[in-house]
Amino acid sequence: MASQSTFDRHLIIRGLERCSTPRFLLWLLPWVLLLAFGLYGAGLCLVRGLNQTNMDNRFAFGLWIFLDLTVIALGAGAFFTGFLLYILKKKELKAVINSAVVIGLVCYSGAVAVLAVDVGQPLRAWFTFWHPNTHSMLAEVTFCITCYLTVLVIEYLPVILRNRKLRQIPSFLLFEHELHKLMYVFAGVGTFLSFFHQGSLGGLYGVLHGRPFAYRAGFALWPSTFFLFILSAAAVGPSFIALSTWVVSKISRKRLARPEVYDLLGKVSGRLLILYVLAKTVDTVIWINATSPDRGFPAAMFYSWKPFGTWLLFAEIALFGLLPALILLDGKRRRRMPWLISAAALASAGIALNRFVMTIQTLALPTLPFDRFLTYFPSWQETATFLAVVAFGVLVYSFSFRYAVLFPQEKELNVAQPSQPEPELVAVGD
Amino acid sequence: MFPNDYAFHWSPLHVLFLGIFFTVLIVVGSHFAVALWRASRGLRQNRYDAIRWHADFEDFPPELRACRHALTGECADRKCPNAFDCRQCRLHPMFIAKGLLPAECMEEVGGMIFPADRYYHRGHAWARAEADGTVTVGLDELARRLVGDAPAQLPEPGTTIQVNGSAWQYQTGSGSVRILSPVDGEVLATGGASGEWMLKVRPSAGSLDTRHLLRGAEVKAWITRELERLQLALAPEPTGATLADGGVLVEDLPRANPSADWDRVYGEIFLEV
Repeated sequence: MASQSTFDRHLIIRGLERCSTPRFLLWLLPWVLLLAFGLYGAGLCLVRGLNQTNMDNRFAFGLWIFLDLTVIALGAGAFFTGFLLYILKKKELKAVINSAVVIGLVCYSGAVAVLAVDVGQPLRAWFTFWHPNTHSMLAEVTFCITCYLTVLVIEYLPVILRNRKLRQIPSFLLFEHELHKLMYVFAGVGTFLSFFHQGSLGGLYGVLHGRPFAYRAGFALWPSTFFLFILSAAAVGPSFIALSTWVVSKISRKRLARPEVYDLLGKVSGRLLILYVLAKTVDTVIWINATSPDRGFPAAMFYSWKPFGTWLLFAEIALFGLLPALILLDGKRRRRMPWLISAAALASAGIALNRFVMTIQTLALPTLPFDRFLTYFPSWQETATFLAVVAFGVLVYSFSFRYAVLFPQEKELNVAQPSQPEPELVAVGD
Repeated sequence: MFPNDYAFHWSPLHVLFLGIFFTVLIVVGSHFAVALWRASRGLRQNRYDAIRWHADFEDFPPELRACRHALTGECADRKCPNAFDCRQCRLHPMFIAKGLLPAECMEEVGGMIFPADRYYHRGHAWARAEADGTVTVGLDELARRLVGDAPAQLPEPGTTIQVNGSAWQYQTGSGSVRILSPVDGEVLATGGASGEWMLKVRPSAGSLDTRHLLRGAEVKAWITRELERLQLALAPEPTGATLADGGVLVEDLPRANPSADWDRVYGEIFLEV
């Protein structure tokens, strides 16, 4: 029995083994310090302005936008798991949906918080809603992200309202019950919103006529990056859920989900990832042979600026795309945890690399004859703000894991089973 | 954002984009409001107990949800899909009709007496129909030894109680323990904390509905399983039972074993998350 304080232990659902209160506080301490440090850095940016960062008028997207794109893509596990569970009725995923919702909430709230700092005028944030620029992909992104964050908060409410103490408050439990019954509506809306803002984030780069490294031809209004961003986020979302479940399982030393759950996440991720790799390959071939030359730039030129060589393209498509896809498509390997987790980690790293390439490499490359290759290294204030989001995520997840049921299978997977009675009389089967 | 706003144009794109945005807002907002309204209606209709029980039941590990007929060996391993409410069960009448259980019943199980004149709830309350149409409710022997001399908080006469809802509570050293009601009805009188019975109830249906309650030969199988679960819950690590076999539970187990994780034990035995 862990030595928890009385107050603390009465907040923890019975049957869930959690570490002692002092140990939990010790775990929280570095993250709280990191969060405080990050808030200080973010505060400086808000009070003194964006001169605290190493971004400028030419390098206007930096660490923060890279972070935003990455966490929003990784947070796609929330909408896609919800879609698979509530719309496609993949009941096995009930085992991880709560965790997926928390991860989604953390990712999106972190992204919105960083955007608020990045915009630099948070008090005027409402302008983007009141006076939207409907010609900009960013208007759609802003609307969708804020709407989806609202949906995620609503989806998170039932998770937290089922806490042991909170469920003893009748109005809370009844509200949780009613909210849960309507969850398929919120999951559907979440899917719709995610689908569009993931796409618009990609479309944002694809329409950059002045940046031929990023510019892509496409379909009607939408450049190919619109569809690639949706597909990549949907493909990697389940992998990231599997990876995060495994990491939490290792840190907490608990079995949290049955192997079938990991297997299903891996299978879905593998199938979508191979589709993405195929689409990305076709897109790259068209870009190399048509889109880029048509705009007066041989594609090879973009890879002549070190360190952004062709190795990046290879790593993005083959190492972090094709390889994990093949592992996840192979049932035998997928069912072995080291393979599954390695593939999930590769896929998650791959999406981060893709977002890095789209954000940083795009802006670093010269596009005019008198341009030079730009370099950018984030300031400590930018890094601190980035780390604050990480710390915030760990803290929210840690509290949620301790005081809510993030993995409904945890109890049964971590208790000794009483002996089963011998069925002496079998009268009616199920 | 709105017509007359300086940036708004009556162009198809503006109308489509903002139309979708406001539709999303309306869908999310209206469903949130519906959930709030239904919750307040549920509060007025006193549905908390029923929903709490279903929420708790959903969070029980599978071995806790074992069907009564699986405990007796009448069927292979089966989990109850009806939150222990056999009144809703399609299979329960079929098992009863088969009559596979022996008629004789044993009053003593594990050194404890479980009188055959009453029906037992899975949460360790019992109910006995009286000649005057009332139902007497009490705590079974196993549960009594687990709560020891903890003071009971009994409902006021006139209170309505529901099957699987809270009947009364004990204030133990590890917090409050809820005892689930085996009967729907109105509390007529309450017994003493040390008395044999705790509540006199006038059943809502006029008489005691016993379909969801255990009796006779079922009690032995159930209590045997409960003792196994108790051993597991009392074990310091979730690695298996550590109590010696063959003993009899002492009268006041919390006093005899104060270092046990009683919060967990009470949750396991009294079916509370």
